[in-house]
Amino acid sequence: MKIGTMLSDVTASLFKKPVTQRYPSERRKPPKQLRAFLVWDPESCTGCGLCAMDCPAGAIEMIVIDKKAKRFVMHYHVDRCTFCAQCVHSCRQGGLSMTSETWELAGLDRSSFDKWYGDPLDVELAMGDEAAEQT
Amino acid sequence: MQTLNSLFALLIFPGGLSLLAAGLLYEWIDRKLLAQFQNRIGPRWFQPLADVLKLLAKEEIIPEGVDRRLFIGLPVIALAGGLTAALYAPLWGFAPAFSFQGDLVVTLYLLSLLTLCIGLAGANTLDRFSLVGATRTLTQLFSYEAPFLLALLGPAIAAGSWQISDISAYAQQHWMVLAQPLGFIVILIGLMGKLELPPFDAPEAETEIVAGALTEYSGRGLALFRLGKGVEMVVGLALVAAFYLGGAGNPLLFIAKTLGLLFIVAGVQSLLARMRIDQTVGLWWRYGALFVLAQWIFILGQRVMG
Amino acid sequence: MIEERKRERFTVPIGPQHPALKEPGHFQFTVEGEIVTEASVRLGYAHRGIEKAAEGRNWVQNLYLVERICGICSHIHATAFSLGVEQLAGVEAPPRAQAIRTLVAELERIHSHLLWLGVAAHEAGFDTLFMYSWRDRETVMDLLEELTGNRVNYSANLLGGVKFDISQAQMEAILQGLDFLETRTYHYLEVVNSDTLFLQRTRGVGVMTRSQAELLGAVGPTARASGVVRDVRVEAPYAGYIDFPVHPVVEKAGDLEARFVVRMKELLESYFLIRGILAHLPEGEINARLPRRIKPGEAIVRVEAPRGELLYFIKSNGSDTPERVKVRTPTICNMTSVIKLAVGHQLADIPMILAGIDPCFSCNDRSVLIRRSDSEQHWDWETLRQYGNRFYHANAK
Repeated sequence: MKIGTMLSDVTASLFKKPVTQRYPSERRKPPKQLRAFLVWDPESCTGCGLCAMDCPAGAIEMIVIDKKAKRFVMHYHVDRCTFCAQCVHSCRQGGLSMTSETWELAGLDRSSFDKWYGDPLDVELAMGDEAAEQT
Repeated sequence: MQTLNSLFALLIFPGGLSLLAAGLLYEWIDRKLLAQFQNRIGPRWFQPLADVLKLLAKEEIIPEGVDRRLFIGLPVIALAGGLTAALYAPLWGFAPAFSFQGDLVVTLYLLSLLTLCIGLAGANTLDRFSLVGATRTLTQLFSYEAPFLLALLGPAIAAGSWQISDISAYAQQHWMVLAQPLGFIVILIGLMGKLELPPFDAPEAETEIVAGALTEYSGRGLALFRLGKGVEMVVGLALVAAFYLGGAGNPLLFIAKTLGLLFIVAGVQSLLARMRIDQTVGLWWRYGALFVLAQWIFILGQRVMG
Repeated sequence: MIEERKRERFTVPIGPQHPALKEPGHFQFTVEGEIVTEASVRLGYAHRGIEKAAEGRNWVQNLYLVERICGICSHIHATAFSLGVEQLAGVEAPPRAQAIRTLVAELERIHSHLLWLGVAAHEAGFDTLFMYSWRDRETVMDLLEELTGNRVNYSANLLGGVKFDISQAQMEAILQGLDFLETRTYHYLEVVNSDTLFLQRTRGVGVMTRSQAELLGAVGPTARASGVVRDVRVEAPYAGYIDFPVHPVVEKAGDLEARFVVRMKELLESYFLIRGILAHLPEGEINARLPRRIKPGEAIVRVEAPRGELLYFIKSNGSDTPERVKVRTPTICNMTSVIKLAVGHQLADIPMILAGIDPCFSCNDRSVLIRRSDSEQHWDWETLRQYGNRFYHANAK
């Protein structure tokens, strides 16, 4: 029967720095495995759309400009993404990957949460289609 | 001139505003020490001040079914009691602002006034949590009050007076902590009970009864109660330092001694889990009373032997 | 004539918003003075309609839906679902994948028990233990992040295996972290066993005898603390537990102290198990392919979540979305024990008793009674048990 069993911890802490990480002045390097922002390689895409079908949050929209010429545009909704990396494994061509660098994704306006991947002309076409659909 | 002096002592220094500031400062030091013991950072220096300012700026919601005058008046009375008690305590190493024969008892009653007001405030409201909290506050008050009082009277007997200024002058000659070690232990633990610090924080156990007696308080009332608690901490530490740790002749010694006591108090806070209210009562009426009675027998025995 | 003075009695509501509860649930305790005389519970505040939502998503999407039923036991939900779907499709995940699943499950168990230790200590007012155990929990969360890619909701599972392989560097990091955690766990075991003030709050409080535990249907560490030897990893091993067996940790006392000790000792058992897995990791693939449409059938999966036995019933009708997914979480079994045990205790013990079963309210909101408009079927325990025996006898492999 003892009183103050945590005495050793408490006295040791007097001489140690607090373990709190003073974010944002101190930032730890994220591990390589961290699943952060999704990156798409348009060269390898065949337009099968499995990534969009399998996404549990509906964060990927595959827009086909021209299937024969392999012109695709991907609209990635960052705010819906759950960072589960299922799309990475669903893609048989290995065209998707999740970086571990860009993980601070807070933003002040909605535009930072909409990422369009693809050829710039195609992207403009796709964005125009979407705007037309919405009006 | 006398009235101007008195008003100054009452409102600015050593009572009044400087005491309120000291209360906030000591609360911050306590929280910072606790954080250091728990290996984390803790709040920045202006946190207690920011809390009080925020509370003062918020709307005070008066629940249904309470006595309005009591609800609004009790926090004021509590703070007033604490501030008045400070007038007779030797703060900052100076002699007390006012002093008369028997002011020790008056100071003790004024300090208890704060806890009594909290209990009444809890009993006033119809909220179940407040009622349970009020019951616990008053139960705890009745359990630690007797040993605490007797432990304070130990040095009084040694000094042969009931006046605080006499006792502290006597204590500056003799270090009571060496002469009456049991009394020192009892009074330090008693101070923690009075201030409702862990392990005696059953009356305001956050995980059981939300905030105890103060659950329904918000805005100005809560701010005044918190300020009152801070004042009580400073006055209590000052009394313990004055009586047991050889008094304080100058502000530097006062600050050093009270901070040393605060260090010990924060350490004990971090080491112990919360006690249930029946265990608290059991502890006080068994060990507390036993220790202090043993101490008294020793003191009286010494006097009889000469 | 002497009039009996009526003691003050009223109902104290704990919840749905209360500092003692981390998640919403409504408890009503009728209190006389400080002693509880009656207790009742009302759940359902965190009901999100997950079982219904599962019917509208395909099998792959559902893997992530069930993972988010609970934040603390997310991996085990996903594992149970994967095992069920693999059972239906007749595909077995390769042994290396099963071993990695077990590894992550044990790491999750460590994380869950350390979290629980902190929360239970906080309920007792022992904030220092809370801060230290959560500080140590950061070690295992960093390990999980390094291994799986996220600190919570690891998403380690794929239908048919796991997403990632484990490298030598990661194995060494895990072993290092485990050494640190093992020292700390021995320290916490000592604190829980010998700190006087803490024991005053836990020894002899909330005693549940063995027969009571069996009657109330308690599962998991709550039951094992009362002497009931019930551990799905031992009775019906699944995934990696077939190759890496577990010793059940049982205590006899049945009070809160026993529940603390059981969970601490389970931590030690987990460290031993993880070291065994890392030393003898089988070689091979890390996932198998599963068809998009799963053959029709029914599957029942039982796994051992950190809180007890987790049961999944999955029914497929041959399409790419499930017909019915039913989840029975352990907390709903243990909840009645709180109501039964609370009576006769002091109000101050209630948060401790509640914390002792390790409640996870977000897991336990399920609809348990379905009333059909035409008929009402009523099965008692015995009928259900006999049906279960007949079913498994008929479908024995």
